[in-house]
Amino acid sequence: MTDAELLEVLRAAVATVLEIDPLTVTRGTRFDIDLRADSLALVEIVEILEQDVTRRRPGFRMNDEDLDALVTIGDAVDYALARLRA
Amino acid sequence: MGGDDAPGAVLEGARLAVARDPELDLLLVGTLGAAASALPARTRLVEASESIGMDEDPARAVRSKPDASVSVVHRLVRDGHADAAVSLGSTGATLAAAVLRLGRLTPRPAVAVIVPAVAGPVVLLDAGGSLEPTAEQLLQHAVLGAAYAEVALGIADPAVGLLNVGSEPGKGDTLRKQAFELLAAAPIRFVGNVEGHDVALGEKADVIVADGFTGNVLLKGMEGATARAGRTDSPSAALLLGVDGISVVGHGAGSPEDVAACIALAVTIVRQGLMPRLRARVAVA
Repeated sequence: MTDAELLEVLRAAVATVLEIDPLTVTRGTRFDIDLRADSLALVEIVEILEQDVTRRRPGFRMNDEDLDALVTIGDAVDYALARLRA
Repeated sequence: MGGDDAPGAVLEGARLAVARDPELDLLLVGTLGAAASALPARTRLVEASESIGMDEDPARAVRSKPDASVSVVHRLVRDGHADAAVSLGSTGATLAAAVLRLGRLTPRPAVAVIVPAVAGPVVLLDAGGSLEPTAEQLLQHAVLGAAYAEVALGIADPAVGLLNVGSEPGKGDTLRKQAFELLAAAPIRFVGNVEGHDVALGEKADVIVADGFTGNVLLKGMEGATARAGRTDSPSAALLLGVDGISVVGHGAGSPEDVAACIALAVTIVRQGLMPRLRARVAVA
């Protein structure tokens, strides 16, 4: 998957979970300040991303201990890309 | 299972529930140990080895503990092995499990309780699910709360009120003023603003909509006043309204009668067909 594809998956996930216009979500969007995503919403978004990526890469999972480091949408995209390329 | 007195209170509550309802079958989810040999009739055990502590982040714990009983019970509902989930203990963990395993009908599910008011029972929501909702989310809660009252209270066209600091239109903070406009235009019988005592009196509205912070404080205040008056009829069960399945949560310190009441509420909701009604209503909210 590419950077752009992962960003689109995350935008759709944010739109689904938080009912936010996906066009307003960029790599610089912060989960806490901009999206006001609480812990539950963040986990939902991560699991939607995992379900999508798993269709192409079975068993894809983001480590629970790494979720706190995901401050922006871009952080999540970069993390997922790194996991896919590992 | 779950709760402070598990498995004893849960087993006894299950025993009461199946004795009172010959059509009821139960799955007890958790670990029973030696008590597994003394299951009530029409009751089966589903083993679940983990639990979620009150000091854990609920969402992270549900994700990292797939064998926690609260996670397992909601997967049973998701996968069609059970019609409803009943959980005792942490409302946060139950809400997280319900959202993550059943999915959402609304962005912010509400905790809906049925309060035994003087003029008849009242549905109060939100009693703690969403502490800072938007006006649009209060609208969704109002629509879902009305559907719940139709089913749980048997009221064909329930009156819906907005909890406020006064009954006159225009009262309250920005959230309440915005919500008032939305509720007035919604496909519900909106009766306007109502006040805290209207929850206990039950004369003005069958459904009372509040933000989760206010609703939780109000509910616990009422529970304290009820206890001080020597009464024991505070609500023992709450429905998580706005998840895509039936999830009832009870007090962690619930007695066997409280457990049986939670089960009975879940059964009523299933048999009265609440979920199709909710899915249809949320589509137009």
